[in-house]
Amino acid sequence: MGKVKGNSGPLAQRPDNSAFKQQRLPAWSPMLTANTVLPFFYFMALICMLLGVWLLLTVQSIQEVKLDYTEAGTCDVCFEKRKNVSNAGQSCSCTVEFSIEKAFKGDVFFYYGLRNFHQNLRRYMDSRDDGQMVGRKNKLKNPTTYCQPFDKDSAGRPIAPCGAVANSMFNDSFSLKYHGPTGASVPVPLYRKGITWYTDKNVKYRNPRTENLTLAQEFEGVAKPPYWKNPVYQLDVLDPTNNGFINDDLIVWMREAAFPNFRKLYGILYRADKPFTKGLPVGNYSIKISYNFPVQYFRGRKEVMLTTLTWFGGQNHFLPIAYLVTSSLSFLLAVVLTVVWWKFGKDGKNMEE
Amino acid sequence: MAKESVDSGLTWEVRANSRHYHKHKQKKSFLSIRWGRYADNVLRSYKYSPLTFLPLTLFEQFQRVANLYFLLMVVLQCVPAISSIPWYITIIPLLSVLSVRGLKDLASDMARRRSDLKINSRPCDILISQRFSTAQWKDLCVGDVLRICKDQVIPADLLLLSSSEPHSLCYVETADIDGETNLKYRQALSETHNELTSHPSEETLAAFDGVVLCEEPNNRLYTFRGQLLWRGQSFLLDKEHILLRGTVLRNTEFAYGLTIYTGTDTKILRNCGKLRVKKTRTEKVFNKVVLGIVLSVMLAALLLAIGSGVFSSLVMSRTEVLSSLVVNGNPVYTGFLVFWSYIILLSPAMPIALYITFEVIHTVHSKFIGWDLEMFWQQADRPAQARNTSLNEELGQVGYLLSDKTGTLTQNCLLFRQCCVAGEIYGDASVRAEDMKPMDLSWNSFSCGGLYMSAPGLVEKLRGQQCALSRQFVTALSLCHTVMAEWKEDAPVYQAASPDEEALVGAARELGWVFLSRTRDFIVVSELGVTRQYQLLALLDFTSKRRRMSILVREPEGGLKLYCKGADIVILERLQKDCPYQERIERSLELFAQACLRTLCVAVRSVPEASWEQWSKTLAKSAAMTTCDCDTMLERLYDEMERELQLLGVTAIEDRLQEGVPETIDLLQQAGIKVWVLTGDKKETAVNIGYSCKLLDPDTRLLEWQELRQILQSPDPGVSFFKARQTDMWAEDRGTTGSKTAVILTGPELAEFDQRPEWGASFMSLAEQCQAVLCCRVTPGQKADIVTLVRKHTKSVTMSIGDGANDVNMIKTAHVGVGIAGVEGGQAVLSADFALSQFRFLQRLLLVHGRWSYRRISLFLRYFLFKTCGFALVHIWFGCFNGFSAQSLYETWFIAFYTVFYTAAPIMCVAFFEQDVSAESSLMWPKLYNVGQKQELSSPRMLFLSLLYAVYTSLVLFFVPFGVFHDTAFDFQTMAVTVAMAAMFTANIEIVLLTRFWTKFNIAAVCVSVVLFFICTRITHNSRLFERAPSDYYFLGVSDRAFIDPVVWLTALLTAWTAVLPSMTALALNIILSVHDSHKVHSVPHQPVELRSKLIRGTSLRRSSYALSQGAVPGRLITSGTSIRSTVPTVDEIVTASKNPTDSNGQMMDNKTPKLHFKTV
Repeated sequence: MGKVKGNSGPLAQRPDNSAFKQQRLPAWSPMLTANTVLPFFYFMALICMLLGVWLLLTVQSIQEVKLDYTEAGTCDVCFEKRKNVSNAGQSCSCTVEFSIEKAFKGDVFFYYGLRNFHQNLRRYMDSRDDGQMVGRKNKLKNPTTYCQPFDKDSAGRPIAPCGAVANSMFNDSFSLKYHGPTGASVPVPLYRKGITWYTDKNVKYRNPRTENLTLAQEFEGVAKPPYWKNPVYQLDVLDPTNNGFINDDLIVWMREAAFPNFRKLYGILYRADKPFTKGLPVGNYSIKISYNFPVQYFRGRKEVMLTTLTWFGGQNHFLPIAYLVTSSLSFLLAVVLTVVWWKFGKDGKNMEE
Repeated sequence: MAKESVDSGLTWEVRANSRHYHKHKQKKSFLSIRWGRYADNVLRSYKYSPLTFLPLTLFEQFQRVANLYFLLMVVLQCVPAISSIPWYITIIPLLSVLSVRGLKDLASDMARRRSDLKINSRPCDILISQRFSTAQWKDLCVGDVLRICKDQVIPADLLLLSSSEPHSLCYVETADIDGETNLKYRQALSETHNELTSHPSEETLAAFDGVVLCEEPNNRLYTFRGQLLWRGQSFLLDKEHILLRGTVLRNTEFAYGLTIYTGTDTKILRNCGKLRVKKTRTEKVFNKVVLGIVLSVMLAALLLAIGSGVFSSLVMSRTEVLSSLVVNGNPVYTGFLVFWSYIILLSPAMPIALYITFEVIHTVHSKFIGWDLEMFWQQADRPAQARNTSLNEELGQVGYLLSDKTGTLTQNCLLFRQCCVAGEIYGDASVRAEDMKPMDLSWNSFSCGGLYMSAPGLVEKLRGQQCALSRQFVTALSLCHTVMAEWKEDAPVYQAASPDEEALVGAARELGWVFLSRTRDFIVVSELGVTRQYQLLALLDFTSKRRRMSILVREPEGGLKLYCKGADIVILERLQKDCPYQERIERSLELFAQACLRTLCVAVRSVPEASWEQWSKTLAKSAAMTTCDCDTMLERLYDEMERELQLLGVTAIEDRLQEGVPETIDLLQQAGIKVWVLTGDKKETAVNIGYSCKLLDPDTRLLEWQELRQILQSPDPGVSFFKARQTDMWAEDRGTTGSKTAVILTGPELAEFDQRPEWGASFMSLAEQCQAVLCCRVTPGQKADIVTLVRKHTKSVTMSIGDGANDVNMIKTAHVGVGIAGVEGGQAVLSADFALSQFRFLQRLLLVHGRWSYRRISLFLRYFLFKTCGFALVHIWFGCFNGFSAQSLYETWFIAFYTVFYTAAPIMCVAFFEQDVSAESSLMWPKLYNVGQKQELSSPRMLFLSLLYAVYTSLVLFFVPFGVFHDTAFDFQTMAVTVAMAAMFTANIEIVLLTRFWTKFNIAAVCVSVVLFFICTRITHNSRLFERAPSDYYFLGVSDRAFIDPVVWLTALLTAWTAVLPSMTALALNIILSVHDSHKVHSVPHQPVELRSKLIRGTSLRRSSYALSQGAVPGRLITSGTSIRSTVPTVDEIVTASKNPTDSNGQMMDNKTPKLHFKTV
């Protein structure tokens, strides 16, 4: 082809006698027979079954408490209240109680969950500006058009963080209390930092930074998202470093869920002090909820979850069961194939002999 | 006058020597608007000019629906409101496809330009202002007078005005037009001859001011109607006066002609047929499937859009945050936008990469054909060549092979191999001609080789004067023919109208009987050095009906002898009783027939003086009678003379086949390919070749036109055909072997098909049951018609193979055209899709390359459909969970890379290297070829199954991860990476299951693909890229976590395993059940393809192998003396002419007088 041929003799056009050009490349043609194929099927069935059983056992060891608080306990009042948009400004809090029969060993994770909330709508997911959240100043003043209609407020000021995702941020807050056997109620300490991915917290979300300017000054001339109570630089009143775009709750929320039913991490049990050094002890608990997020519009539900984790994550029965189902399917196929082989294929084998 | 000619259809006016008149009316064109009447003589086979290239190529390319579709995708993706994937993902591949294809077209157009230029700049002598000056073909103009020299190619259709030969005869070779290599003669009008040759030629030619009125340009090669108006007189013109473009002037010093048709008006170019773009069957099926996919995608998008509208109105409008995202608050409008978004999102199901890859694979397969050493023809240093690089898989599906004969099956080289004289057989045909040890013929000063018969016994007999019979036999060979001798360097060079005669006369020369020259009345022969002059009394010419020719001579000693040669059947029935050696000679006839030699019986009769005188008187009388009676009369008279013959012997001539032809035909027939032979040659020759190349078996029943016609006319052709076969079996009483039938047709009979179009279908259904079909005496146009007939009435792929310009039309018409790059001219090759040097390479081209290509391309298409649909359809299922909002489940980079990096290399390797069985085994088991003919791998059903499997896969790909990630803390991006990983695993496991031939490239490709997925994913999730362009690389950090998350791995692996389970099961089932087949292929001891040549042709039917490919004309010419330059006294000629009123002369010949061939003293 591209090679310049030196020989211009009588056989200048003669093709090269190379293995490639003559299609004689050394190759391995696996001679598959029933003897190799059938054991493979059984083997795969076995592997899947072992994995399935192992996973199932692991999942069984996980402890989990799930609590739908949409209208539970005293929250029905708040639920009714949130039905009316005009009450959005008023605060409402309620308490839900539950008890743990068996102590949660090890790390305990506190999740909030939403049902029927579509964080995966295309226009919703697109309605954000990663450029703005990474701290680009031009984007801060001039959010992408994808954020519409949440890019500018009515006065024409740019919104930060812009877009529907940030605007719809989950804004219920929880405080967990343990009512021990002594009757005294101890607040369960939740570690609310480090619930984000490292890359999110340190790369993906950055505050705009200028020398000698405070965060509030940085965000001057920028409007808060319309549904928010506080501007972005006042998300965490307690910890000034947890404000702006790098607020943990905001980051968690901004990592959109794939499906309408999802849960998001709220906090991790802080096990430094007694009686929580080994996890959550047995007893009654109550959660005080600052009830802000309206769900009745989309027939959604809100829930909280307390769970322990294994290497494999939270309680998820689907995967082990799927493994077991696939295993039995493979096994079934293997058996059918064996029967077929026994009935028809063997003749060929006999012929061979 | 002009009015008359218009009425008779002669509207084409050519004025001699008036350039300006014609130039003025020359055809011109600008931007496809044409005007003018006369074409110029410039060959323009190219399509583009610098100005038109871009618009034309774009126009052509966007005629492909696929390209248009992708353009639409690009446009859609540029609209922000609906763009679910960034625009650059489609436009880069689209641009590369367009440019690659455009460049390819440009390159081939340049090649065409170059070859055009070569032809256009050939020299020719044009008469301009009273002088012949050398110009180029392209300068030629209608009305010009040309001088053609010996061996020049004629540049346009000419009216022959005069030539250097007596009577303005000239000879042309029409090999490029009809494939016949024998010479044809043309003659000028006697008026122009007389006038234009009498004076110095250039002035008279320049003064020639005749006007030719003739028909409009047409493609009928064998007819011409016109008249020449000159000096107030009108002369009729027919095809005998015309020299066609592309023919070669032979044996004539020079000829003058008037240009009538030029360039595209010439008959040969009108005959070329339109260049059509060939598409393969697989591609057509595939295009339909693609169309089906596009339509289903649209349907799915429509349903999803409706879902989206409903969702918007029901759910989104209630959710405060979301309601503002319903565009303009109008759910219908949202649905409309979502429809287009889904069209974009689902478009990867039919990716543009498919078309690029398809083209690349075709190109590589074509390269493999060119690289194949086994198809390299060492003698000519010529490899095989795939000129059309898009028909490879069609080679694996050929059902009908339509082959030319001369030059394709045969070498068009006749050799005198054997003879039987006086009951003794000389020579041995079982020895190949090349391996022959030549006889010592040094005693013969005229010997110049070319006799491939070793018969020292015969030579001894001849020289020893012992055997009168053998001497007479050779004398007969040297006398009884119409060959003319031309003296060159002290040796006679024979000019024969048929190669058979040349072989016979040449053999006689080698044996010592040298035909030296002939005049009208004498034949001079040197018999072993003694020159003898025979007086030629009468020549009883050959016709296809008589199938014999005789010559009546007076020997120098004074006796009258009639020498006769002809087909065995006609000669044997005219023998005298108790002919010596008759039985042994008949036995030898059978032997020769078995060896597939053309046989001729040679006989002699001593004619008493008295009966000759009486006969000649009757002949003279009958010649004076009216034309129609005359013919029958003559026939009777001839018959009277040719009786009581004494059989001398039999000659056996080998029509040499190309190397390996019988083996190839046998193999192709075993592979289920129907082989048809289409030839311009005679029926006898064709049948003979049919036998010798194993196309026909000895026990094959030949179904000829009469019978076929009856069958076709009967109400139920199939039944009658069956009956005909059965009765035949009864008649021959030879059980099952009699079931083989072959159809023999000739051109004129084929013409009847035009009038009875309904016969086509029934004929094809008959032909399908026949072993072979032979069509003889067909024109190039008819060859193409036959191909069209086959194409129309069967679904099979047709392949035409030929070597000459007369095959061009058929090559262009067939699905696949193969040109044999012969010794001379590459006309066929230029228009062919594949060029081979030898017919036998066809077996490798079809059974190895074709079969592999078909298999590879079918696998490729099915796999490609599977992997792209399987991966894209996931969005439909995801749509059900994201409010039908056209959210992509994948990262955009994954969509872009999936078809290019993660899954392309392994399937490309399969498409390049896959071999289910080796080349040797492919040739060993031709039955394997049936897979392609039946379209087993690429049938719509198989493609549909692949699609179904793709749908299943997409379901698995979505719902298993859905089950895992649903209602958990896992985010969308982790889910996306997991599904992507599962999709990549599935595609690669599937290719592993598909590959049966693991070269190092295959292994590397699979490994690299998998590794590339991880590397590319890590790269696009990289923080640096994110900082550059946050909106393009927003999957930052996902793979860091996902690739170490056991849930992601467990899910992806489980998904992949479940997805490939059906294909795995199918494979296992295949392996378990196909033990028989594979067992057959792999464990039967290798044995070469057995040739059935050993089969003894045990028929009692004696076949006539008489074949002289000539018309009745030469005899007439010889006896009329017009063509013979008088080397022996011309006085004699004048004397006989004046003495004998019945003598035929040039005048009579022009008037088509009866064939009168006798001379009196």
